Amino acid sequence: MRWACILLPRLALDGVLRRHPDPAAPLALVTGASQRRVLHAVNPAARALGLRPGQSLTAAQALSRDFTIHAYDPRDAERWQRLLAAWAYRYSSQVSLHYPCALLVEIASSLALFGPWPRFEARLREALAALGFTHRINVAPNPAAARVLGNAHDGLAVTSQKALKDVLGALPVERAGLPRDAVEALSRMGLRHLGQVLALPRATLTRRFAPEVIRHLGELLGEWPLALESYLPPDEFDLRLELNFEVSSHQALLFPLRRLIGDLSAFLAGRDSGVQRFTLELEHVKGTPSQVPVGLLGAERDPGLLFELARGRLERTRVGAPVRAVRLVARELPPFAPERRELFEARPQQSQPWEQLRERLRARLGDHAVHGLGTVGDHRPECAWQPAFLASAQVDDTRPRPGWLLARPIPLDAEVAGILAGPERIESGWWDGGDVRRDYYLIETRQGQRAWVYREVGGDGHYWLQGWFG
Amino acid sequence: MSPDYAELHCLSNFSFQRGASNADELFARARRLGYRALAITDEATLAGIVRAWQAARQHQVALIVGAEFRIYQGPKLVLLVEDLAGYQRLCRLITRARGRAEKGRYQLLEDDLREEGCDGLIALWVPDDEDDATPGRRLGELFPGRLWLALELHRGPDDAARCERLLGLARRLLIPVVACGDVHMHARGRRALQDTMAAIRHHTTVAEAGHRLFANGERHLRPRDALAELYPPKALAESLAIAGRCGFDLGQLRYRYPHELVPREHTPASWLRELVEKGMLERWPEGASTEVKALIERELALIHELGFESYFLTVHDIVAYARGQGILCQGRGSAANSAVCFALGITELDPTRINLLFERFISKERNEPPDIDVDFEHERREEVIQYVFRRYGRHRAAITAVVSSYHAAGAIRDVAKALGLPPDQVNALADCCDSWSDRLPSAERLVEGGFDPASPVLKRVLALSRELVGFPRHLSQHPGGFVISEAPLDTLVPVENAAMAERTVIQWDKDDLDLVGLLKVDILSLGMLSALRRCFALIERHYGRQLTLASVPAEDGPTYRMIQNADTLGVFQIESRAQMAMLPRLRPKTFYDLVIQVAIVRPGPIQGDMVHPYLKRRRGEEPVSYPSEGLERVFKRTLGVPLFQEQVMELAITAAGYSAGEADQLRRSMAAWKRHGGLEHHRERLTQGMLERGYDAGFAERIFEQIKGFGSYGFPESHAASFALLTYASCWLKCHYPAAYACALVNSWPMGFYSPDQVLQDARRHGIRVLPVDVRYSAWDCSLESGRDGAWGIRLGLRMVRGFRQVQAGRIEAARAEGAFNDVAELARRARLEPRALALLADAGALRALAGNRHRARWAVAGIEAQRPLFASLPATEEQAVPLPLTNTGEDLLTDYATLGTTLGPHPLRLLRGRAELRRCVDSRALAGLEQGRGVSVAGLVVGRQRPGTASGVIFVTLEDEFGMVNVVVWRALAERQRLALVESRLLRVSGRLESKEGVRHLIAHHLHDISALLDGLDVRSRDFQ
Repeated sequence: MRWACILLPRLALDGVLRRHPDPAAPLALVTGASQRRVLHAVNPAARALGLRPGQSLTAAQALSRDFTIHAYDPRDAERWQRLLAAWAYRYSSQVSLHYPCALLVEIASSLALFGPWPRFEARLREALAALGFTHRINVAPNPAAARVLGNAHDGLAVTSQKALKDVLGALPVERAGLPRDAVEALSRMGLRHLGQVLALPRATLTRRFAPEVIRHLGELLGEWPLALESYLPPDEFDLRLELNFEVSSHQALLFPLRRLIGDLSAFLAGRDSGVQRFTLELEHVKGTPSQVPVGLLGAERDPGLLFELARGRLERTRVGAPVRAVRLVARELPPFAPERRELFEARPQQSQPWEQLRERLRARLGDHAVHGLGTVGDHRPECAWQPAFLASAQVDDTRPRPGWLLARPIPLDAEVAGILAGPERIESGWWDGGDVRRDYYLIETRQGQRAWVYREVGGDGHYWLQGWFG
Repeated sequence: MSPDYAELHCLSNFSFQRGASNADELFARARRLGYRALAITDEATLAGIVRAWQAARQHQVALIVGAEFRIYQGPKLVLLVEDLAGYQRLCRLITRARGRAEKGRYQLLEDDLREEGCDGLIALWVPDDEDDATPGRRLGELFPGRLWLALELHRGPDDAARCERLLGLARRLLIPVVACGDVHMHARGRRALQDTMAAIRHHTTVAEAGHRLFANGERHLRPRDALAELYPPKALAESLAIAGRCGFDLGQLRYRYPHELVPREHTPASWLRELVEKGMLERWPEGASTEVKALIERELALIHELGFESYFLTVHDIVAYARGQGILCQGRGSAANSAVCFALGITELDPTRINLLFERFISKERNEPPDIDVDFEHERREEVIQYVFRRYGRHRAAITAVVSSYHAAGAIRDVAKALGLPPDQVNALADCCDSWSDRLPSAERLVEGGFDPASPVLKRVLALSRELVGFPRHLSQHPGGFVISEAPLDTLVPVENAAMAERTVIQWDKDDLDLVGLLKVDILSLGMLSALRRCFALIERHYGRQLTLASVPAEDGPTYRMIQNADTLGVFQIESRAQMAMLPRLRPKTFYDLVIQVAIVRPGPIQGDMVHPYLKRRRGEEPVSYPSEGLERVFKRTLGVPLFQEQVMELAITAAGYSAGEADQLRRSMAAWKRHGGLEHHRERLTQGMLERGYDAGFAERIFEQIKGFGSYGFPESHAASFALLTYASCWLKCHYPAAYACALVNSWPMGFYSPDQVLQDARRHGIRVLPVDVRYSAWDCSLESGRDGAWGIRLGLRMVRGFRQVQAGRIEAARAEGAFNDVAELARRARLEPRALALLADAGALRALAGNRHRARWAVAGIEAQRPLFASLPATEEQAVPLPLTNTGEDLLTDYATLGTTLGPHPLRLLRGRAELRRCVDSRALAGLEQGRGVSVAGLVVGRQRPGTASGVIFVTLEDEFGMVNVVVWRALAERQRLALVESRLLRVSGRLESKEGVRHLIAHHLHDISALLDGLDVRSRDFQ
């Protein structure tokens, strides 16, 4: 058995940078409550400005204003790790996520296919670089040692037990993957290198340290096996990219799309399958995400082909509200059989349920031509009702309001026969520049229609029509 | 003709995040609109009622005291006070409702109303549903004949219909209807602020607050003819009927001092005299001088005339308890430094030592108690507080409130959030404000921060923040202000729960108390008193000399010489860098010089430009002149330069014909003018008065500007005198018992300016031996240990070991008393120390005698096997010895700092002197011998970075090397250029030019070089140098 450990020291940061238009610009991941935010990770450019992980954002901004910040999400790192596991799966059937921010890959059985190791290693590095992940790769006879070597080395391939002992011996204790309190105790005893520790009679150590410390030492030396859970590729692909800016043009969506498709393709290759149907979800600042389904007639996994198809569908979609995040979900992943699709395919004539009719209408007339109505908590009538693209929350307003509300008030040209109720004064909306000050009346016109009209407070007394009661 | 009207339902901004106008605005407008009365009915609180009372008197509109409530799971109602009994009932109701809920909330139950009764209260029911008569019926049972239905119309969808239905509802219940406004702001113009506050209260933005905002701005004080359009005349008239019944005035409240202060057979006056006479015997055992006797007689007469005996007795009672417990205390404040207070033990400052006129502090005109603050040892103040609660009971003693108000940063933060700005911008905006300032950032500052002040959003944020600044935000508790009363406090003012368990807080702050005439005593804490008490104890124990604050020998030459040399690290007040820089210039020679020294290094005198004139005159470089004989008397003691608040008051009396009471008003306005303005009418009065008395206009103008510059920073002489007493005592102790003093300081930490490390380094530089922590000798505290030469050295205590706990130290001391420890296993067993504690001792080097160096000690304690009772008698398992690396000096140093916060070994700089980076650096000792103006480099540990508020943009950096401190001045341009080195370095090399003035040396920095990496180089392993 021989194990390679791919350590991903900047996993969360790389996850952000790889979809950033300018990864070389200073950037910091921040975490913590909004009152006291702390830098979690910084890229080299940010480090050059004096930013350090652990610094408070305020302190960092005192040093420089010239960097962008991005919220750190611990789940992100896990997602990327799983994605990369799916990618690594193509190289070995034994991949493990045992350590955070690292992949363990058993390579002995893969060398025949991808070897020798230097070539195999170069291949891994090339692929990781293309995917945009900083990495350190070391090989050791056991997985624990392979992981620990990553704390101090990169590109080391230790094959013999003897060499392993030497390399481990030179490792500083704080790099040996030991629990923090054990590291503290050892260094307070003056023991700085793992070699000094390993030279002591094991019984004296057993008496002084917790069992997991002793076991870890055993695992490093290969005396005890490390219990590993093997990674099994998931049955679906679901990846979300949060954008750094609100994007409302197709052009700006293509970059993240290409990343997503690339990751999908790497995932598919890892599990040797293709995709026949997937959905792009465009998430907006508010409201429900727009869905862009992409269907193929057969399973594919070529990134170029998938990208072109997705791009074509995306460009036919109108991007309404600005997009904050893009998500790619692929649930049906049939085995990939690289074959050409049928030239003439018989498609059954379908009856169209409402949803399909709606979709067709939208495809013909534009996405915004068909919508429902939702209420918004706002005292101003024209703001209280807004187009909604999904069934919205119930109206909590019990005030008498007309069923037909005009989009814009117009001067009332009917004659007022009588005032049924009012004035109801509405003064609101100063915060968005749309302040209104109106006295509303429920009136009856000569024609017997009941209308909702208003006069500006302090205005010329002219009535404006806001809506009709049924 | 507009109908008469009294508004009976109105919130002020003390209904936090609801009311959008203050009482002054409300009453001013009520007056303008011709309202007959205005009720202030804040929600379940009377915190704003004293301010309302003030505003009502100022604007001459009758105030009706009341409060709004929502009964728990029930209707909303307004309670109005008819008479004193009703007021007390309302106080108790609020107290009950608040006591039941967490801080800041309340829960009023129907049972509360039932149990408290309703006499003296009028209830207005505000129905939620026009058709539901049930709540009204229940309230009618609770308030028979005292319930009205509040008709509140705000131009809703159909007011006419709503009005009809409410009238119908009242008819069904047979209760009268009264018109009310549910007022939230004084004028419609506050609508935006009110919306914003609502959004803040709901933790949302105005755009998303939706129907949680009011639909319109009708909830303001409306003109009477507008009301006439909306309300039936009878409902309006009813408001006057109710107002007519509510005759209560806060002036009717009568405060009584606690009865237990005076024994049955005494009157307060006779008892005070007896206590004073007893005290005189103690203070002047061989009899007081006729002068002192006369002084005391004069003071007692004044106290009697004003009826303040009980106040002095109250303070005496608290101080007497503290003295009985051996808790050191010292009074300060207007009356504290009187002869009476000296006799009573409230102050330790002998009135013959300094000439402070008592009449200056007690004014006959204002009928309010004198202000005495008492400082107690910081570690034992809680005992005093608990005594007060015990003696008077929790229902008669409570802590006063502090009203926290919006400052600029807080206001801009809340408003920006409510207007939907993203968190980063909110933070950035708040960062543009100076902390604690009420001034909003200037346009330039905003541009600098990356904002466009002309954008509509920012304009809105600024306009609203400007309105919000100064609004009360919440109530918190005063650090030590106590109210004690004969009657239960909740008959005077509502009492709330404090954030701290077992504490109760009244709803008024100290200004409110002053106005209503309630007694207040400040029980404050002061770290220096702890240190002094410890030092006295050490001296008594080791040198056999009994000392008290009063018996420390006065006017001691060596002490003043030490002070003049600025050798004052660790003493009280004159230890800061600015103070130390002043000492060689001012060269204090007498106690009064210290009083001046304490007061002069403050923002007030510095900004008022009083320091340089004073120094020049003191050195005779400038003639001392006085504009008149009268003013010579006032300013002679400060050489013609106004330094103290009292002098400003005297000036106003002498030169401008103020009465003592008016002068006190001037003092108050001075303290507050930056916030509230209100100095301008004093300008006219002062100028006028001075012109009449023959002073010229230019002089009057100059004096007024100085008073303004003084502003809120002016320091009272009475406080300075109390502080100077402690300063002198601490200096005397440092001068004559340096080991005991340093030891006491370290044991009282955290307090003061300097860390234990700096205090101990200073002690070592003075030749005092400091001994390491050792389980064989160390107690919890540092202690004095005599060496072979008979001199006392300081043995570091276990309190120095970071993370070690006092109980563990106690167990070690107890076990040690029964016999010495032979090895660490025995120590662990007998002192019952857990592995963590043992490891801390090992790392700190405290086990050296039992187990060898740190490495061996840590190895040894890790090897101690857990106790197994059955095998306790068996010998421990034998184990082969293992070789462990030796420790080295650099590593020891770093571990010393990491575990003890100080080192007894060589200073890090001594270890690093040989390094190339330090080769051309001058050390602090050699620096003292260099002439000024020279270019020079120094290096040292960065022990302090200060940006004084008075020096624009300058940063003072203090470096420490093996011989002492070096003061470095970094100008703004350099600070900005080398921000990183300035902010981040722990070890700094500075090249610059040496400046020296009157014995004070600074290095003006030209270049900074961060050489912190050298520290890590001392030890390759760790980076835990702190």
